[in-house]
Amino acid sequence: MSKKKEKNPNLKGTLYSVGFVGLFILVSWFMAFYLFIDRF
Amino acid sequence: MTTIKEKAKEFTKVDRRDGKLALAHIYVAFIALFIGGLCGLLQVLVRSGKFTLPWGIGYYQVLTVHGVLLGLILTTYFILGFQIAAMSRTSGTFTNKQRSLGWIGFWIMTTGTIAAATMVLLNEASVLYTFYAPLQAHWIFYVGMALVVVGSWIVGLAKIMKYREWRKVHPGESSPLLSFMVIVNMAMWIICSLGVAVEVVFQLIPWSLGWVDKVDVLLSRTLFWYFGHPLVYFWLLPAYMVWYVVIPKIIGGKIFSDALARLSFMLFLLFSIPVGFHHQLTEPGIESFWKFLQVVLTMMVVIPSLLTAFSMFATFELRGRQLGGKGLFGWVKKLPWKDARFAVPFIGMAAFIPAGAGGIINASHQMNQLIHNTIWVTGHFHLTVATTVVLTFFGASYWLLPHLTGRVLTKQMNKLAIIQAIVWTVGMSIMSGAMHIVGLMGAPRRSDFSTYGGAEQATDWIPYQIAQAVGGTILFVGIILILYIVVNLLFFAPKGETEFPVGEVSENAEKTPMWLENWKIWLTICIALILFAYTVPVIDMIQNAPPGSKGYKFW
Repeated sequence: MSKKKEKNPNLKGTLYSVGFVGLFILVSWFMAFYLFIDRF
Repeated sequence: MTTIKEKAKEFTKVDRRDGKLALAHIYVAFIALFIGGLCGLLQVLVRSGKFTLPWGIGYYQVLTVHGVLLGLILTTYFILGFQIAAMSRTSGTFTNKQRSLGWIGFWIMTTGTIAAATMVLLNEASVLYTFYAPLQAHWIFYVGMALVVVGSWIVGLAKIMKYREWRKVHPGESSPLLSFMVIVNMAMWIICSLGVAVEVVFQLIPWSLGWVDKVDVLLSRTLFWYFGHPLVYFWLLPAYMVWYVVIPKIIGGKIFSDALARLSFMLFLLFSIPVGFHHQLTEPGIESFWKFLQVVLTMMVVIPSLLTAFSMFATFELRGRQLGGKGLFGWVKKLPWKDARFAVPFIGMAAFIPAGAGGIINASHQMNQLIHNTIWVTGHFHLTVATTVVLTFFGASYWLLPHLTGRVLTKQMNKLAIIQAIVWTVGMSIMSGAMHIVGLMGAPRRSDFSTYGGAEQATDWIPYQIAQAVGGTILFVGIILILYIVVNLLFFAPKGETEFPVGEVSENAEKTPMWLENWKIWLTICIALILFAYTVPVIDMIQNAPPGSKGYKFW
């Protein structure tokens, strides 16, 4: 058993932060996709 | 007599002779920043429609100086200089032979740079930094660019020799993380620059000398982009080295995971090269299937990018909590925001979020039509290279330069460095933001000011072009500030010792598996992917070659 699992560091902020990055990418992409569908 | 403690201290310092070689590269980089930045200012002023270049200087001439000096020279020289220091710091001092190779490479590159720059300044090579055929430059420009590439290989060879020497002395051990990253970065550069070397030596030089009349444009562009996309990762990986290895030490934390960092670098090596077609998505002559395949490979880069984002956030959160940060985001406040060595690269990291999102849009196959050849693309790479990469390089300069010159960054300079980054952020937000928006409205990139015969659509672009001029002017102020700090750190800052920060791996991290450094595996996969993505379409291009083109000089 590794130490890491015993200590179980709190990385909740990291989870939300990467979640935000993912969401930002998806929202931007769909906005561009909407423009693309609208124009072509 | 030297004590053990003193000896250990010596080892953590870059040897003075290696430092001199690193500094030589960095001098050229910052000279390029000044001239290239000045040309950037002239460009945005011209495109605002309110300014005309004096003395018959052409817009495309200025654009070429800007692109070549900042995209190719500033980046390559800074990276090579930084890598030399990083190798010397983590794998030990270069041998005389290795260092001599470094100097030979430096002078070959510099000869090439001077030759190419002279041709551009004489208006004999206004072909922009992509030097696309059938625009034809003077042959000396191409020879100069070839010398830059060959010189960089020789500098790279010196580093590879150092790395091999370290591994020979330490069998069965993982190499120092920073040295490992330098070698991945160099491997990427050597593999990708072979493409542009073939293009320049076998296509462009004989054609510009008049030995052959025509050039195969499609093949030349394909070879260029085989080089051109990994080029952006060649710029980005040194920034990642700073983020993964240096920043944890600066904030007083630990590297989250050595294995994760190595894996992410190897994935970048695999997925940054066989993807050049995503720059050619609107081009005829390449079958859709191969474009699609390279789009899929491009999207794979999202994996190491998000691994990096996760690793950075985790490093920050662990350290912030260690310092007493509470709640979901209380740790953010605990980070050393007043330390330019952290705050400046952090802005670079933040800029990579919209930059990365934009990159995914660009590479989304048919959707590329939305932004292709518009100034959105210019806005995009001003976020990636001119913000993320460049701000990280500036942040690194604040410890690297004083470390190499035996000086210290004073409190005033640290404050000025943070002001510089704020100025840069404001200027870039205005300029790049305007470029993104007006790009979606159809404004073209790479073009001089024009009202397009009074077309209504073109009239709508003008306010954004003025915004670009405002942003670009603020950015030029940022360039003056960074040059002031750099000159201070090189010649005037108080003498003293500055640390070259290298982080330690967290005690909670798992042991790094040796297969992560098995070059036979990784290089085989890398070459297999390149062959898979390029062999059939390139054979097709050669067998069904379009009619060649004679050279054009429109300037």
